[in-house]
Amino acid sequence: MISKLTIRRLVLISTITTLVSLGLMVMGIVFPTPLLLVLAMSLGQLFGTLSLALYLLAIVLDLQGVGEHDEIAPHLGFEGKGAGDAGGEGEP
Amino acid sequence: MPQIHTLEQLLKATALVASAISILILLWYLARRPPLGRMTKVMLLFGLGVMPLGVALTGNIAGFEYTLKRDFCGSCHVMLPYTMDAMDPASKSLAAVHSRNHNFGEESCYTCHADYQLFGAMTTKVNGLKHLFYYVTEYANTGPYGEGGKPIHMYKPFQNGMCNRCHSTTAPSWLKVEDHAGMLEDIRKGEAKCIDCHTGESIHPRAFAHGGNGRPPASAAAEGKEAQP
Repeated sequence: MISKLTIRRLVLISTITTLVSLGLMVMGIVFPTPLLLVLAMSLGQLFGTLSLALYLLAIVLDLQGVGEHDEIAPHLGFEGKGAGDAGGEGEP
Repeated sequence: MPQIHTLEQLLKATALVASAISILILLWYLARRPPLGRMTKVMLLFGLGVMPLGVALTGNIAGFEYTLKRDFCGSCHVMLPYTMDAMDPASKSLAAVHSRNHNFGEESCYTCHADYQLFGAMTTKVNGLKHLFYYVTEYANTGPYGEGGKPIHMYKPFQNGMCNRCHSTTAPSWLKVEDHAGMLEDIRKGEAKCIDCHTGESIHPRAFAHGGNGRPPASAAAEGKEAQP
């Protein structure tokens, strides 16, 4: 079950992937050797695109209100796994 | 502080500034882990989307610009006999003479070797990927100038169009050369190749004499002389 925690994890993965992507692209700019340039233009941009897609997915899920009722779900008879996870990282 | 003189330097500086902004935003998020409120989302949109897109765009253009440069070609050691000769102000080789022309300048390798056709820049870059593959798989452990590697050759014959971009075959000084005038039609049709007479040895003599291109040295004397760049 998708919960608020899943959304936060998506954003976290997206953030880390972007940092890796930026690292590769900056390496290609600072040390423009053939191998690093190819890595920057292939893997770097693949990771960058992937991370942006993950972030946009997270935003779409958030805007759809996914996981907003996790806290009250058990009281309504829904015992989904995500219900117990909600707020696990200090989500207000 | 480094000065910005060229478009490539400006693009690189822009890419580095954009990546620094992006990294700061992402580190702020990782350190603080704020709730995903509107402000955080907008900040992350800049850190994860807008700025990295800017880095990719400007970095790509700067990277492509740099791949046109002779320094880039010379960054693979097997190309050093070619690029060092082209850069040598005392060399009388065709490559060096052309490199001293400001229309070729720092981009003399690309100017002569890029495919002269529609999408030539793209096909040249695809061939560049093949270069990289062969360099890593076959030449990485060769000698300082590529000694011991397989002979280096072009993927396809050098076309007259590469020369005719500048040498239009109509200039009086060019037509004065007896061989040019005698083979004019054949040259224009491409049936006689410029490099049939202006051979690799006259274009890149150091590479051919040195043996750094995988071929045996022209002579031991030449090798001894060229081994001290």
